[in-house]
Amino acid sequence: MAEPVVRIEGLTYRYRRASEPAIRDIDLTVEAGEVLLVAGPSGCGKSTLIRAINGLIPHAYPGELSGSVRVNGRLTTELRLRDLAAIIGTVLQDPAKQIVGATVEAELAFGPENLGMDRTEIRRRISDVAERAGIRNLLGRETAALSGGERQLLAVGGILMLEPRLYVVDEPLANLDPASAARLLGILRTLADEGHAIVIVEHRVEEALDLRPDRVLYLEEGRTRYLGSVSGFLEIADPDAVKLPFDAVLARFRSDPSLVGTIPAAPGHHAGAAPPGTLAAPGADPAESPRLEFSGVRAGFGDREVLHGIDARLGRREIVAVLGPNGSGKTTLFRTAMRLLKLTGGEIRVDGEPITNRTVAQLASTFGYVFQSPSQMLFARTVREELTFGPRNLGRDPGTFGAIVTDALERTSLDVVEDILDRPPLTLSFGQQKRLALAIALSLEPPTLILDEPSAGQDHRTARRFMREVMAIPGLESIYLVTHDVDLALTHADRILLFREGRVVADGPPLEVVEDTDRWIACNLRPTSLIRANARWSGLNGAFLDAETLAARVATGTAAAP
Amino acid sequence: MNFAPRYLGRGSWLARRDPRVLVIAVVCFVLAAIQVWDLRIMLILDLIAFAYYRTARIPFRQVRRQWMLAILFVSLLVFANGIIASGRIQRLPEGVEPHIYGYIPLLGTPVSAESLTFALVQFLRFLSLIAVGFPIAFAIAPDVFGVTFARLGVPYRFAYAIDLTWRFIPSLAEDFRSTIDAQRVRGMDFTGQSRNPVARVRRQIPVLVPTIVNAIAGAEDTIDAMDLRGFGTGERTWFQDLVLDRTDKLVLIGFGSLLVVATIGGLVTSSSVLWVPDAILPR
Amino acid sequence: MTSMSMPRSMWTVDSRTIVYAAIGAALYGVLVGLFKIPVPGTTAVDARPAFALVPFFGFAFGPVVGLFTGLVGNMIGDQISGWGALTSYNWSIANGVVGLLAGLAPAYLGSMMSGSLGRRAAAGAVGGAIAVVIGFLVVFSDMIKDQMDFNAVLTTEYIPVVIGDLIVTIILVPVLVYAWEPVKERLGR
Repeated sequence: MAEPVVRIEGLTYRYRRASEPAIRDIDLTVEAGEVLLVAGPSGCGKSTLIRAINGLIPHAYPGELSGSVRVNGRLTTELRLRDLAAIIGTVLQDPAKQIVGATVEAELAFGPENLGMDRTEIRRRISDVAERAGIRNLLGRETAALSGGERQLLAVGGILMLEPRLYVVDEPLANLDPASAARLLGILRTLADEGHAIVIVEHRVEEALDLRPDRVLYLEEGRTRYLGSVSGFLEIADPDAVKLPFDAVLARFRSDPSLVGTIPAAPGHHAGAAPPGTLAAPGADPAESPRLEFSGVRAGFGDREVLHGIDARLGRREIVAVLGPNGSGKTTLFRTAMRLLKLTGGEIRVDGEPITNRTVAQLASTFGYVFQSPSQMLFARTVREELTFGPRNLGRDPGTFGAIVTDALERTSLDVVEDILDRPPLTLSFGQQKRLALAIALSLEPPTLILDEPSAGQDHRTARRFMREVMAIPGLESIYLVTHDVDLALTHADRILLFREGRVVADGPPLEVVEDTDRWIACNLRPTSLIRANARWSGLNGAFLDAETLAARVATGTAAAP
Repeated sequence: MNFAPRYLGRGSWLARRDPRVLVIAVVCFVLAAIQVWDLRIMLILDLIAFAYYRTARIPFRQVRRQWMLAILFVSLLVFANGIIASGRIQRLPEGVEPHIYGYIPLLGTPVSAESLTFALVQFLRFLSLIAVGFPIAFAIAPDVFGVTFARLGVPYRFAYAIDLTWRFIPSLAEDFRSTIDAQRVRGMDFTGQSRNPVARVRRQIPVLVPTIVNAIAGAEDTIDAMDLRGFGTGERTWFQDLVLDRTDKLVLIGFGSLLVVATIGGLVTSSSVLWVPDAILPR
Repeated sequence: MTSMSMPRSMWTVDSRTIVYAAIGAALYGVLVGLFKIPVPGTTAVDARPAFALVPFFGFAFGPVVGLFTGLVGNMIGDQISGWGALTSYNWSIANGVVGLLAGLAPAYLGSMMSGSLGRRAAAGAVGGAIAVVIGFLVVFSDMIKDQMDFNAVLTTEYIPVVIGDLIVTIILVPVLVYAWEPVKERLGR
């Protein structure tokens, strides 16, 4: 048998500044023509493993390495990055960061140029790759103007240009709409069928299975938990740590009834375990004006209109998810409501009053707006200073700051972090920064929270834990979510506003909105296994349940099959 | 806010030139223009500069703001220099005494035919430099900056850094705007005034720190992406081929001659000496 | 066990240097024109908070990055504002020299660099300030380039720009060093 593309033996690696190894005792081979899925929660060592394969470890990350990594039979420690680049192609997580070219052609040419390839050969490959990656229509465009899906395909194209034997793809599905995801997986599958090896890292197992991986490597805390067939993996995988297809979750609950007792308090408030508080009592008084009312709203950036006449009412006491693919105008909707963008037509009212009567700062004491990326706003030297910034700007009484800070930290469970008040915010972990962003919004004591893509940058487990914490915050009246994560929206909201190209195409409770499958697919949203399962067992209580809760009910017979 | 370098001159005669021509032309022109102090010759240079500028076909409406600011700034600079030099005038022909009209009240700065001409030449020179320089930003395709400088002799790593700079501008500008929005919903007010410059600089910390720190932290993946595709590991090619055609060569010869003529002229004629029109001399 | 450590000289030019240089120049080019704060008592020149990028990038990432940030960033700022990248090329050189000198500061401020984060932040301010005072001497070339008067350059250009940029450097460079160093520790390299 031929030498495998990758052969890893007894690999342990510790980063220079770390006290513990990030991965330990890894043994792995990847053969030509094979698709290997690497799964595991954040911090399991996936990224380190990728770097060890593609040579960034040890060439760009100093640290302590034992064991060996061979590519095409040669030790990576003895190869230069220049040589490795021609054998292994890596598609990084965030295509916006991977793309270095100002235009599509420049990006495609980048790798071959660095390797000193002949100009005519580069041009031949550009034409070839544009065809294979299905991006011929993008040629000539500037990369800054591409959509997220287009960028991801271009990033893959940039790697195809080098014609490597092995493709390492890191979480490619994080920001892809189903159409782009299907195209990407199609390209990867073809490569494997042609005899290339593929290593795909993804915790969205349900979606990655569309690639028909041959084997799965499941990592936990830097060690191999499982290495083998897909079916064997689905039997042992932790449904809390990675996102599994519903049938796999159900099978786990059926085979192991003890799991039923482990379900955490229901993530949504539907399931009856909601925290006591105003949020627990949805259903608005019809006489009451809505918290936020859009009538014929138009807005956009410069000459480009993004919202084409939005009519919607968001209640004072409800959880609403604005759901739609990237670029459909969801975020623009709330930025306009916060007066961060100019209204070009129609009217927006807050508690019955036009927003034009209020400043951004005044609106912030009604809506706690949590941006997608927490580090975008952290600047202060301590958490305390960070939390008093808002109240100070709004001219609140400094005598109350102590109480405001304590309250915000308690409501976001940050109070348990040691020395939290004096920590520099940027030294907190990503999860803690996310919660700090939440605490910052709460420091202005708003009755309503607006969360922009709350699951961004988090894995399945941490995203769900974060949502549970948000839903449990006491003293809130309403929560509005902006997301492209279908299951997250459906399992947490009372009501879904479905967005497509700057228009509301559906408005109603989750189960109702998903009924029309054609509309769903037209919105470029993924019909997930959870939607099908909820539809199948919808007789239960009229609510959309998350995978574990539904599986537990089905397994224990509290859900009657149709 | 839109900072994306806009390729406004796309398709124009100038944009079809080898981009090296645009850079070399500016260098020649700048070096020629700074030697000229004869008003008549400066007017000719302005004509050349604006004729050249016209070939880039940059829609005026799109760059009106830039022109206004530039003219305002040039005026201030020239005016301030005139005031502070308080009547001492460079580049006067030997033995000529300034013809003074009068004195500015309070400051006592003399205003003379010579000082006005000097200011006018300075003003016209700046205008010509701006006109010639404009097309570099607006008539060079965004993906050929790197190769342009590389083929002009800049080491390829730095030439590529110039490419990368243009690549980063739109996304960093977008992140910056996002940070401003994030701080505005925390009640930060950007309109407030304070006389104290220290306080006002400190007030920018909440937007500058996240923008800068995030940009640097976000660079890690870009560095990896470059390393993984072998950047900086050896000989590099550029996929765009730059070839000087006949017209390019003629343009280069033209601007080169301009520099030569200005230099020789400065040595053997009075082109680098102030020339004052008789008409404005006080009788 | 293979233990790898890579000594990185101040003058190394690798992907890291190039990316930081490009980010510095892009940020400076974009931000410098955005906010200008008039300094009382001076006429034409303002305190430009974004200028802090030049000494900070030099101080944190070395003289090569500092030079590029100042030089190319200033050219881009001039080009975006319509002034033209080469119209005041000597000012761009001055900005580059400031970045370069700030990048050398860790070498000659050795004792301050080995101390606490607070001392390093102070070193950034001191190194940046020295770089500003020396680097902007380059603008006296306006006396040749534009036949400006010495007093005019001194009073309308050098002194105002140095005062404005010293304020910015002394306030903002330490803040940036404080914010950046803990983040750097977490990046794994």
